[in-house]
Amino acid sequence: MSQQSIYGSGPAEDSGDLEQSAGSGQVSASVQGADDILEEIDLVLEENSEAFVRSFVQKGGQ
Amino acid sequence: MERRIGGLETELGLVCVRSDGSRALEPEAAARELFRPVVALGRSSNVFLRNASRLYLDVGSHPEYATAECDDWWELVAQDRAGERTFAHLAQMANTALAAKGEDAVIHLLKNNVDSAGNAFGSHENYLVDRRGEFTRLPRILLPFLATRQILTGAGGVVREEDGTSRFVFSRRSDHMWEAVSSATTRTRPIINTRDEPHGDPQRFRRLHVIVGDSTMSEVSTWLRFATTDLVLRLIETGRVVEVPVLSDTIAAIRLSARDLPGTAQLPLEGGGSETSVGIQQQYLDLVAPLATQDEAPVLEAWQRGIDAVRTGDRTWAAQNLDWAIKEKLFAQVCERRGVDLSSPQIDRLDLAYHDIDPRTGVFSSLQRRGLAPQILPEERIARARTVAPATTRAHLRGRFITAAEEAGVDHVADWTTMRLVRQGAMPVSVMDPFQTESEQVDALIAEMGEMGRRSAASPPPA
Repeated sequence: MSQQSIYGSGPAEDSGDLEQSAGSGQVSASVQGADDILEEIDLVLEENSEAFVRSFVQKGGQ
Repeated sequence: MERRIGGLETELGLVCVRSDGSRALEPEAAARELFRPVVALGRSSNVFLRNASRLYLDVGSHPEYATAECDDWWELVAQDRAGERTFAHLAQMANTALAAKGEDAVIHLLKNNVDSAGNAFGSHENYLVDRRGEFTRLPRILLPFLATRQILTGAGGVVREEDGTSRFVFSRRSDHMWEAVSSATTRTRPIINTRDEPHGDPQRFRRLHVIVGDSTMSEVSTWLRFATTDLVLRLIETGRVVEVPVLSDTIAAIRLSARDLPGTAQLPLEGGGSETSVGIQQQYLDLVAPLATQDEAPVLEAWQRGIDAVRTGDRTWAAQNLDWAIKEKLFAQVCERRGVDLSSPQIDRLDLAYHDIDPRTGVFSSLQRRGLAPQILPEERIARARTVAPATTRAHLRGRFITAAEEAGVDHVADWTTMRLVRQGAMPVSVMDPFQTESEQVDALIAEMGEMGRRSAASPPPA
């Protein structure tokens, strides 16, 4: 595998709508944005929240 | 120190689940998938990258990223976020490979500090301090600041109390702190770790290792951790007599402070009396303000705004800038919308999603895209920091060395102080001054590798 595989562009750069927000140093909260995020979170939480949480167990680090 | 070097080590949580949320791969196996391209590049799961950072697999299958030496705190944030992007990219490659094998398995990397069983892992801040100096009085002056800093820089979260209730706190980290100062990191975790590995000339430097911090998603929170601590260290280094409110029981105080969202709880002081978290932070801010340079005015301003958010209860600024306040608002909205309370596993899941570093699906990234969380650094700067080291420290030399070695396809090893080619008779080059940015010896190594690269290109190995 080539070195490019570590340095190659990650998921962010693949996504068109991410590029629009790139470089916007300003926070401009909107009511629409707040509603959208809650709808998006609904989708995450409706998918097996409890099982996911239970699956996340590792030995300690540090 | 007028110019101080710092670095941030971040351990990530790792979970690999099926679409029904159940565990698909054990952490060890998932880490192997994740690190395949790293091992292919460096023949090891412990490598230094072109941006001079260190990427490795730590105890407990925690992927870890340590930024290179930075002397500017926005550069440090850029380097830290570059590490997130690199790991997100590795996770995406691993997930693509798993899908191609037909496995129902997706790896998630979580930039948080505790798993669902309560195992803790860290976000360790390193600060270079002068060897001749103030280390004996340093912990006494620094600890009250660190114990209450969470009202500004905590990541927020929910703790379950012994009586079964759940409550929102500035930081869950406080419950994993057992000592103020010690050399331990896992068994009895301290706020300040005294392990003294300066990664530089031990006659001149020592390293201050602060392990009380939360992994912060907000660029403003991460920046404030370093920018405020730097100022307090400068205060100590003036050598002047400094009157600070010394806590009579630091560990009891840090736990109380974490739970005290109004910031009004009285923390007992040594020698009698008491002070609130808000009052303690205000005293430190007032003490360091005269030492700040003009460029640091934004640090003082953000610090004051953070204190005021707790003191007045007006979260307008904090809820768009600081992790704990962004989360506090989001958790309240989600609880109301879904008719659950903070004890719900859905809120645990939401907390994990907030810290998921995938820029497409992580909740923090979604908040950024919608203007609900700060995005100070342009995406181009973060992308650049993935392959370009900080220019004003020793990292610049390491970054040039590694870039040249990888481009020439030359076997090499590096650590924080040393660079060496892997071949018989090769002499290591050590750079013991972390402020050094030029070195004839490193130039010579790079020139030598250029020659080697050209020779091997002229006579390619038989296919």
